[in-house]
Amino acid sequence: MGIVPPAMEANPIVLDDTAGDVVVVVVEGEHDIYTAPTLRGRLEEALDRGGGLVVDLTGATFVDSSVLGALLDARRRALESAQGFVVCVGDTVEPGVKRILDITGLVPVLPVMRGRDEAVEAARNGDGP
Amino acid sequence: MSAAAPPPEVVLNMAARADGVAVVRQALAGMADALAFDAAVLSDMKMAVTEACTNVVVHAYDEDPGQLEVQMLAGEQDLTIVVRDHGSGIQPRPNRDGPPALGLGLPLIAALSDAFELRGTADRGTEVRMTFAYTRDGDPASANPVSGSVGADGRWEPGDPPA
Repeated sequence: MGIVPPAMEANPIVLDDTAGDVVVVVVEGEHDIYTAPTLRGRLEEALDRGGGLVVDLTGATFVDSSVLGALLDARRRALESAQGFVVCVGDTVEPGVKRILDITGLVPVLPVMRGRDEAVEAARNGDGP
Repeated sequence: MSAAAPPPEVVLNMAARADGVAVVRQALAGMADALAFDAAVLSDMKMAVTEACTNVVVHAYDEDPGQLEVQMLAGEQDLTIVVRDHGSGIQPRPNRDGPPALGLGLPLIAALSDAFELRGTADRGTEVRMTFAYTRDGDPASANPVSGSVGADGRWEPGDPPA
């Protein structure tokens, strides 16, 4: 076996707009300084659509402070333009995601919810920061 | 008597590039497998090492990426990880290529490790030395909580140190 650099295919970030006026940015796998620019691009793209934004980290296994920086910048932009912004993590949160959210106190700030449906509903109603 | 096996040691020496940080995590996971770490400790180690390596990738070098060195030293009770660069020293350069860093890296490293030391000089680079016990009595993040919160500019504003 070899050690291989991370591939975006294994750590996808995709936009899901099936919820209508709320765009969900679905983040899976490991994300750090290498994939943060892609995440920033997807978040910008989602905010450009003008509706609410949900970042779904349910399938994420690891996020670092570069990812938090991207989420906080998107949150600030959402706040400025009165767009809903909510992060969701699912019912069983990976330690590599839960720990950094817990110890930075960002759960109420971002804010972070469990299920995608309740997050979409909250973002649609303009909840969030 | 036969000599005891030398303690496991791993040294990685690689270009300080963003795509290398995940490689360091993979190497760390491999080393931790051999040492039977608690899963929560491994998770914290990955996070702390990621933040230390990210600091090197983002701040240490001006234009051409220099070297990122990661040393993992297994002791009797704990694993020490040293992340080193030969860059501009302890005062970080601004990030030239991307948005300003959050400034949360070192507070996270302090919270996630059992011991942590930062050494640097203006012309010889920076070294972050972190130690992680194989088993924990308590949560280091309780002893060294991440203080502060997000300021209006989106950067981390250090709060009052915990009493």
